[in-house]
Amino acid sequence: MEAGLIAIGAGLAVGLAALATGMAQARIGAAAMGVIAEKPELTGRAILMVAIPETLVILGFAVAAMTIVLL
Amino acid sequence: MLTPMTKLQIVGRKGELEHALEELHVLGVAELIEATDERLERHEYDSEHRDELRFLVAEADAVLALLPAGEEPPGTPVSAAVDTVPGAVDTDVLRRQLDELGPALEALTARRESLRDELVVLPRYLEPLQRLLPLIPELADLDDAELDTLRLDTIALVLNTDDDRLVETLRSELAATIGSRFELVSTHVDGGAIGCVVVFPHSVSRDVHRLMGSEHVRQVALPDAFARLSLRGSVLAMEHRLEEVSEDLAATERELIAVVEPHAEQLRNLRAGMAAELDQIHAVELVGATKRTFVTDCWVPTRDVDELRAALLERLGPALVVDEIEMSRHNPETPVLLHNPGWARPFEFFVRFLDIPRAGSIDPTILTALFLPLFFGVMVGDLGYGIILFVAAIAARRRFAERSPFLASFAWVMLLGSAWAIVFGVLFGEVFGDLGKRLFGDWAVWMYRPGADSLEPLLLFAIAIGAAHVVLGVVLGLREAVRFREHRVMLDKLGTLLVLGGLFAIAGLVADRLPAGVMTPAVAAIIVGIVLVTSLHGALGLVMGPLELIGTLGNVLSYLRLAAVGLASAYLAIVANELGSAGPIWMGILIATFFHTLNLALAAFSPMIQALRLHYVEFFSKFVIGGGRPFRPFGQRPEDPTAKSMP
Repeated sequence: MEAGLIAIGAGLAVGLAALATGMAQARIGAAAMGVIAEKPELTGRAILMVAIPETLVILGFAVAAMTIVLL
Repeated sequence: MLTPMTKLQIVGRKGELEHALEELHVLGVAELIEATDERLERHEYDSEHRDELRFLVAEADAVLALLPAGEEPPGTPVSAAVDTVPGAVDTDVLRRQLDELGPALEALTARRESLRDELVVLPRYLEPLQRLLPLIPELADLDDAELDTLRLDTIALVLNTDDDRLVETLRSELAATIGSRFELVSTHVDGGAIGCVVVFPHSVSRDVHRLMGSEHVRQVALPDAFARLSLRGSVLAMEHRLEEVSEDLAATERELIAVVEPHAEQLRNLRAGMAAELDQIHAVELVGATKRTFVTDCWVPTRDVDELRAALLERLGPALVVDEIEMSRHNPETPVLLHNPGWARPFEFFVRFLDIPRAGSIDPTILTALFLPLFFGVMVGDLGYGIILFVAAIAARRRFAERSPFLASFAWVMLLGSAWAIVFGVLFGEVFGDLGKRLFGDWAVWMYRPGADSLEPLLLFAIAIGAAHVVLGVVLGLREAVRFREHRVMLDKLGTLLVLGGLFAIAGLVADRLPAGVMTPAVAAIIVGIVLVTSLHGALGLVMGPLELIGTLGNVLSYLRLAAVGLASAYLAIVANELGSAGPIWMGILIATFFHTLNLALAAFSPMIQALRLHYVEFFSKFVIGGGRPFRPFGQRPEDPTAKSMP
């Protein structure tokens, strides 16, 4: 029972963080595509901007990993 | 590394300007810039001649583009013909040649376009008719004359919707208009459309057409060649015509090539000469002049200055003066030329992709070449996948070595990454996930990565790599700040380093790796660091300072993706093996092969993106100063040495 709850908690930590990352990337990605269409030379920076929210899901992973390791 | 650049001023007799420019064009190592002295006069070139050259170059490109891909690209310079002074290329020769080719090419390209249109349009008629034929077998064989005899009319429609209710609406409207004296059959066709045929007595034809008109239903008339045939006859004729069109198109393209090919080499030579002349005209406009002399400023890689000076003096004699102008190394106007050892050169693309470093700053190419493959290897970390990617990268490099330098460079990056994947595959004891463990037991040199006890050390390993990489970035940023004498940035980097050092010391203390005496200096370093970073932001420092430090800590934690992506890949491989071992052996091999192929494709793509992101966001942001202007030498050949040699 307890192991199951820990697993659900870890899953929620990663899943919700991934959802938030996806929402942020959807908005930034749409804007980035607009920028690239206007100025293709900014492709590198646009990709960088799209990649920034990924840290959220990595932090979610860190919380999930700590939940599994420490509890 | 950034190639040191020197700014030169070349002064010579006015009459020798064109020869000087020709020699500079041959050498291809100098970027001409506008002479800045306001006392100098400017050349204004005949814009009509320039426009004519541009037009002819564009025309020649259009003709050469008719040759199939793989032939030399349009405008490939031929070294003997490109370094000409303005006016040396006879534009009449090219114009005559284009005039001579023009009529034949126009007729052939018009024919080709018409055939291509037919190839696109015919299937649009054909497909709905093919679907409708089985629904009206009796009517399909009747042509227009026979339908007239039976006093029947037909209408074929394509409704651009897949909603069947529209057909029912059409049926009820027809019933309301002409009663039950019609037959309507319909079928779904590709592209989300519905094909319909309506058959009705000739006597109500006007009512039906009026209804179609009032409801804005547009009929698509068949091309004339197929209009009076039976439906089946139209379908057969269209199928036959489609075969003919494909053959005609291939024949027309062969004819086009046969017309252009005999002239291609001469066209390329003339085109290259004119492109060079356009270069020269642009160069002449940058040059300043006095009554008897010309003055031109240019940037040259420092290593090429002596060679350039010797070549100019040999060609134009001692009356020419080549002076070096003192400039700061950090002058933002200085063009940037990256020059790295052959093994690191393919990584220049990834650096340029983000931004070009500013003159006098650090070129991160070598650091990228060291760390990017390492991060890729940590994430993939599988002997089986590593070997497959290694072999694929070798094959790709051989295949694309001549044809595509970009793909060959990418294959080199993949080669180094897969070599690290093999190394970490041995350390983690993974061969296609847990297949190695199933066959040979736990043979990991360090730890079996997907094992229950491995999560903690794996996370610590990822954070350790992150800490080292971020600290290296901050140290390099501190070095840049010292070189550029940017005191605020210097203090900011110093404060960040103190806070990071203090936090790492406390972490070591908590893990019993450092003595208790470390606590006091660690706390002191953190406090001093926070005060330094906070004080730099003025009134907003209390908010911005801590936020910046938290951001840097977030950068370190971001390296946890090395563990996360790696574990995801390993678990997917284990799932593939589990599924593969569930059923009969032949099915197991098929399923496992499918999932491992999928995982391999992900392993080749995702870790590369993540490794790049770690460089762009976490590492480069600490020290790379962008905004550099690429070096564009006058008379540069496509096979420029900076892009040519590969490891």
